[in-house]
Amino acid sequence: MSDKDGMESPKAGASQSDENRQSVEGAGSVESSRREEGEPVTLTRKRPEAKPSSEPLPAEEPGDHVHKGSDSTGAYQTGWRYWGSWGKTFLSTASATVATVGHGISNVLEKAETSLGIPSPSEITSEGRVVAGGSQSSEASSSATVDDGSSSPISGTFGVLSTLSTAVQSTGKSVISGGLDALEFIGKKTMDVIAEGDPGFKKTKGFMSRNSTLSQVLREAKEKEEQRTATEVTMATEKKAHYGLLFDEFQGLSHLEALEMLSRESDSKVKSVINALSGEELEVLKGELEQLKEAFSLAEFYDDEEEEKKGDEDFTKEITSLFSELHVSTKPDKLATARKSAHEWIEKLNSRAPREEEKSEENPPLDSGDAEQDVKISVEDIHAFAIRSLAELTAYAIEMFHKTAALVLHGQQQEVSAPGRAKALSQMTIVLCKELSCLAKEFTTCLTTAGVKEKADVLNPLITGVFLEASNSASYIQDAFQLLLPVLQISLIQARTELSQQ
Amino acid sequence: MEAIWLYQFRLIVIGDSTVGKSCLIRRFTEGRFAQVSDPTVGVDFFSRLVEIEPGKRIKLQIWDTAGQERFRSITRAYYRNSVGGLLLFDITNRRSFQNVHEWLEETKVHAQPYQIVFVLVGHKCDLDTQRQVTRHEAEKLAAAYGMKYIETSARDAINVEKAFTDLTRDIYELVKRGEISIQEGWEGVKSGFVPNVVHSSEEVVKSDRRCLC
Repeated sequence: MSDKDGMESPKAGASQSDENRQSVEGAGSVESSRREEGEPVTLTRKRPEAKPSSEPLPAEEPGDHVHKGSDSTGAYQTGWRYWGSWGKTFLSTASATVATVGHGISNVLEKAETSLGIPSPSEITSEGRVVAGGSQSSEASSSATVDDGSSSPISGTFGVLSTLSTAVQSTGKSVISGGLDALEFIGKKTMDVIAEGDPGFKKTKGFMSRNSTLSQVLREAKEKEEQRTATEVTMATEKKAHYGLLFDEFQGLSHLEALEMLSRESDSKVKSVINALSGEELEVLKGELEQLKEAFSLAEFYDDEEEEKKGDEDFTKEITSLFSELHVSTKPDKLATARKSAHEWIEKLNSRAPREEEKSEENPPLDSGDAEQDVKISVEDIHAFAIRSLAELTAYAIEMFHKTAALVLHGQQQEVSAPGRAKALSQMTIVLCKELSCLAKEFTTCLTTAGVKEKADVLNPLITGVFLEASNSASYIQDAFQLLLPVLQISLIQARTELSQQ
Repeated sequence: MEAIWLYQFRLIVIGDSTVGKSCLIRRFTEGRFAQVSDPTVGVDFFSRLVEIEPGKRIKLQIWDTAGQERFRSITRAYYRNSVGGLLLFDITNRRSFQNVHEWLEETKVHAQPYQIVFVLVGHKCDLDTQRQVTRHEAEKLAAAYGMKYIETSARDAINVEKAFTDLTRDIYELVKRGEISIQEGWEGVKSGFVPNVVHSSEEVVKSDRRCLC
């Protein structure tokens, strides 16, 4: 019997960009603010860890605390260093845009000071609550006090993550105490955006603690967001640009969990091998493992930062060739395709941009929701597409790492040494992060072009949001990369054992 | 992507290598048939919403496992958190049918203390001329293990929808009767979020979409 079911309809993962205009919530409700000359951007580094409850930060010295609380692992350190440079290019672009329309630091400080006085944790928390309208602040404050100092490679990677994301944590508190230097150039608007633009991730960062894995954090944030949106009618429009939900939709979360699982297993195997060894044997192995670890420091982020001005096809080529260096039987096709379609979309948009400008109207689309539902691609559409692309690329990158781990652990015989693979993978991480940065810049350029007539209130949050999620994406990719260390370590150990048995 | 769903079920799809697990899932989740498909590495993830009654949606998280033996240690880890499963064999490959028993034993051990509701799927039923397993014997085997049996084809889109939705319905019934319950630390069934507004009216009638290739 073969009752053909002609009903095979693919279901709703579908992402038709429907006409729904996405309104930036709250952007309009910001108190009107004077225009000020934006401060020239000098410094973009983020404090790696906010420690609000232990030392409320005097607002006057933004830049000095940069390295506080960074007494942690090597991976952490380098990740952090990396952020210093990469974040700079990244955010200075943002600030350049923001500064022209935005508000200077004095405005921000004034705001911070008047509303907080000397910020006690609870006050800041409540400020965060007001700004964010969320309810996660208390959890956030408790998790923020969690001590760092873990030295395992897995949890150590969270240092990287917290560099930027902590600085921009939207539980208000962390924004104030953790990132005044960030605010300096992002501007007051950013705070609102961070707080309101992406409620799910705001919560995410609140949960960030060294005791939970990245996927747990992301999953919780996603579930919170689902819960939140399920109770709101505005869901469809809001969800369109929610990074966390999109990331999950592209199965990024599942692959991350799977990767974490493989990483954990490998880590405990490595430990038991080490425990079983002693004397010289142990020293030799330790030395080799240490060497392997060096490839994970991502030191090369610095080296070729300047010369990185490559054409479009190079990404695919580079990733593909790096991937072939791994000698694992899978290809980064999804990644290349996703990236290509993002760039094509941008190109298409750019080619039609001039025409669009003419038709924009006096009032910002925020208030005139239905009025402009024709062909025009709104800044909200661009933003939504940007966030979607970032989530997609990140999810596929993590899927690629997961597959790599599975193949390294369970592939056929090893043709490449573990250090060789580590090198290729670290190179890949760098290429990916640069690509994200590049993409974010292109998207924000689109936003700036398309949004010339928009009010700063509307445009700035969107621009900041794109940069923010791009930097988060880069953090996730780097964290996922770090999860590969134990995997390669155990594969190195296995290779040694095989060798000695021959 | 609609976030409103009553429950989330995690389903696992297992069976010998090359019986068509990935193709079946992709037909179900993406609505198309991939002619060429690389062997699955470890485990892959898919999801889709299924509407079992008007306005009642279940989100299915589908774990696609590698059939290859070398990935078994990875795929085993996923049994435990699955509430349901599709056990595939290829009707043109007798060996894959003979291994069904082994698969069931394996899952029984590793799903402990939980149980997976399985449906036995005879796949590639479009290749009836090359059939090596009769419908009758497959049904007999399924019955012996208390499973339903269904024959499917990803290429011709036969029964794919039905295989997944029937299983989903069965699990839903068990959940409703309390025979399967949501438990802390178990991911097989999760409760969704009930919206304030019921969106049943917006349901789109599915179009009669056939194979695109």
